[in-house]
Amino acid sequence: MAYTPQYYPGNTSVGINRRKHMSGNLEKLRDIPEADIVSIMGHRAPGADYPSTHPPLKEMGEPDCPVRQLVEPTPGAAAGDRIRYSQFADSMYFAPSIPYWRSYWGAINCRGCDPGTLSGRQIIEARERDIEAYTKTQMDSEMTDVALCSMRGCTVHGHSLRLEENGMMFDMLARSEMGADGNIYYAKDQVGIPLDKKINVGKPMSEAEAKKRTTIFRADAVPFSGTVGARKPDEALEALHHMWERRSLWGYRPE
Amino acid sequence: MAKLHTKKLFVKALNKKFGKDFDLASQKTEYKRLGPEQNARKREFMEAAKKLEGKRGISFYNPYVHCGGVPLGQRQLVPYKLSTTEYIVEGDDLHFVNNPAMQQMWDDIRRTVVVGLDMAHEVLEKRLGKEVTPETINNYLEILNHAMPGAAVVQEHMVETHPGLVDDCNVRMFTGDDDLADEIDDQYLIDINKLFPADQAEQIKAAMGKTSWQAIHIPTIVSRTCDGGTASRWSAMQLSMTFIDAYNMCAGEAAVADLAYAAKHAAVIQMSEMLPARRARGPNNPGGLSFGFMADMVQTSRTKPWDPTQVSLNVVAAGTMLYDQIWLGSYMSGGVGFTQYATAAYTNDVLDDFSYYSCDYMMDKYGGFAKAPMNLDVVRDIATETTLYALEQYEEFPTLLEDHFGGSQRAGVVAAASGIGSACATGNSQGGLAGWYLSMCVHKESHGRLGFFGYDLQDQCGPTNVFSYQSDEGSPLEIRGANYPNYAMNVGHQGEYAGITSAAHAARGDAYSINPLIKVTFANPALLFTWDDIRKGYGMGGAREFRAAGDRSLVMPAV
Repeated sequence: MAYTPQYYPGNTSVGINRRKHMSGNLEKLRDIPEADIVSIMGHRAPGADYPSTHPPLKEMGEPDCPVRQLVEPTPGAAAGDRIRYSQFADSMYFAPSIPYWRSYWGAINCRGCDPGTLSGRQIIEARERDIEAYTKTQMDSEMTDVALCSMRGCTVHGHSLRLEENGMMFDMLARSEMGADGNIYYAKDQVGIPLDKKINVGKPMSEAEAKKRTTIFRADAVPFSGTVGARKPDEALEALHHMWERRSLWGYRPE
Repeated sequence: MAKLHTKKLFVKALNKKFGKDFDLASQKTEYKRLGPEQNARKREFMEAAKKLEGKRGISFYNPYVHCGGVPLGQRQLVPYKLSTTEYIVEGDDLHFVNNPAMQQMWDDIRRTVVVGLDMAHEVLEKRLGKEVTPETINNYLEILNHAMPGAAVVQEHMVETHPGLVDDCNVRMFTGDDDLADEIDDQYLIDINKLFPADQAEQIKAAMGKTSWQAIHIPTIVSRTCDGGTASRWSAMQLSMTFIDAYNMCAGEAAVADLAYAAKHAAVIQMSEMLPARRARGPNNPGGLSFGFMADMVQTSRTKPWDPTQVSLNVVAAGTMLYDQIWLGSYMSGGVGFTQYATAAYTNDVLDDFSYYSCDYMMDKYGGFAKAPMNLDVVRDIATETTLYALEQYEEFPTLLEDHFGGSQRAGVVAAASGIGSACATGNSQGGLAGWYLSMCVHKESHGRLGFFGYDLQDQCGPTNVFSYQSDEGSPLEIRGANYPNYAMNVGHQGEYAGITSAAHAARGDAYSINPLIKVTFANPALLFTWDDIRKGYGMGGAREFRAAGDRSLVMPAV
């Protein structure tokens, strides 16, 4: 019988969405052109050659190594691309994804990547053509709402701030803006350098849609374990308690 | 039942920050992007820089170079209320460079050593045949309070320090021998019986026996010019010279070496341990300061023993400022970011609200402070409830959520409250630590985010070291410190650990956490910093009401 990963406990919409993110079985909501993704990332001009840090692996005469024989290089590694990044900030006001779930998505579904998880941002580093593909997947899928999530290489402050009146997450550098047509446009790349042309990434989700797709537990939507005075532990909390107790006892080692 | 414990102490602070009629629960706002001019302190900085730029001959402070021309102040630059106090200051006022009270707090530690008197008295009596009496001790202390600031006692043609520069220096003695204490001139005595509640005084004297000690605070200006390692050297020299004078010794006899050895090594207690070469600091520097010592330096346990939560909150305030802002934020790193990490733990009554909630919850459920059994079931209950309550407050009050700079602050504050509640319930600091780590895990699981780089090394792996007593894996929390292997890198933790340490002992009614001598030394009324009310001290510093020692203007031209 083939093993089916369970990924995450719980039957709330948050638990279900967390499983979707981890499994990589994500709904595609939009199709942003690759060139636009590359422009927002800001590492190379769209259409330019990939800078490399070493020759293609096939030209390097690699040593006889069982691991190398076992693991097929990613396209970026095979070509010798440099390592670049994309970093996302996700609002706590029901952005679909959250830092740890972007990392879990990356670590489970993306080969050759290095996720880094903070509270207000989440970075994935990988060979350049690989990270471009991973970034497009994130931008196109239900992991991302264009008003509540944004690509920010620096000055990421905003995830925990109140939303702008138009529903967008605060961005000190105003990298993206809402157009008169209701679409969100990137006016700057992820480190705040103005783009030659504004890039349309589509319309934001409605509040109801964001709440339906979100992976964050919140007391005012899907609480982790009920609310004050009315606790109802989620299955994820029970699993967590079990792990915490085991870790604590392992350190004690009473034998 | 738990709803009864919700006080929402932070609402008052939020109303002061945002205005009384402001909708604290709204999830949306207008960002006016008013820039640095919206803030009085930033305007002051810009004006000062403009005046100084010509004198300097090189460019200086200019907030418009920030992010290629996008200056600070795109969001509202809000002030901070020092928790439990009425002080409201700007964030800038809480950087230690701008806050003389914070500097003095650290100066008061760095310039202090505790030196035993008994060993020296034994040398005098047994080796030299001198008589040591309360009268000779009083005479010695008078000479010592002349010499310790930097004055000569047995030499001719000596240079001396200007009293106006070193007036913060003083030496008092304390003893567990009530009969001896009665004979010591009041000006030279830290009176345990008067300064401590009766039960605490008895605990301290029982721990000390009839030993006698000197609380030595060398001049602030000396420790600022040199470093913490100087305290024992400066004091040992002046102690030795004073013994020579007070007991009519030969300045060159070998017995002086015994006195010096006692003062520098055998009978001295440094405030902190030396650090290994890779962190390269001598004794009396913050990296070697144990959480137990930090807890004992703070005096709230003496002045408000009925309120263990308040005791813990003051220790957290002391620890976060010293360990985060000064140790990690400047000794080990640099810049200005660390202040943001630390302030969350002592401003706007946020940690206060969460901690009182936790303690009220545990008192209701387990019958009082230190009444609950020390087991994981109790910790699981208290830390989980506290964490879920705290996260709910952030969700209910978006202004509270954005009151903290980010997730590291949330994580530290929520886990600190969980640890304080767990420690207060069990009377066990390790129980508190277990609550801290569970809180971190619950928080991360709920919000899918935690602190800087997930706090994954320190906190998500942390439960394994709570009950481990193998030397490089764990220790009682009281003797862990900033240099403990798993704690040496993460801001937003160490002060909270000190607070959890104190919580356990305050809940038990202990007079001290680990060392009664440290507790008594910092009860010295002549110390400049407000050691019984840490947040008040910071507020005074921020409001420019605090006068620190170490000022050199007396010997410089007027500006």
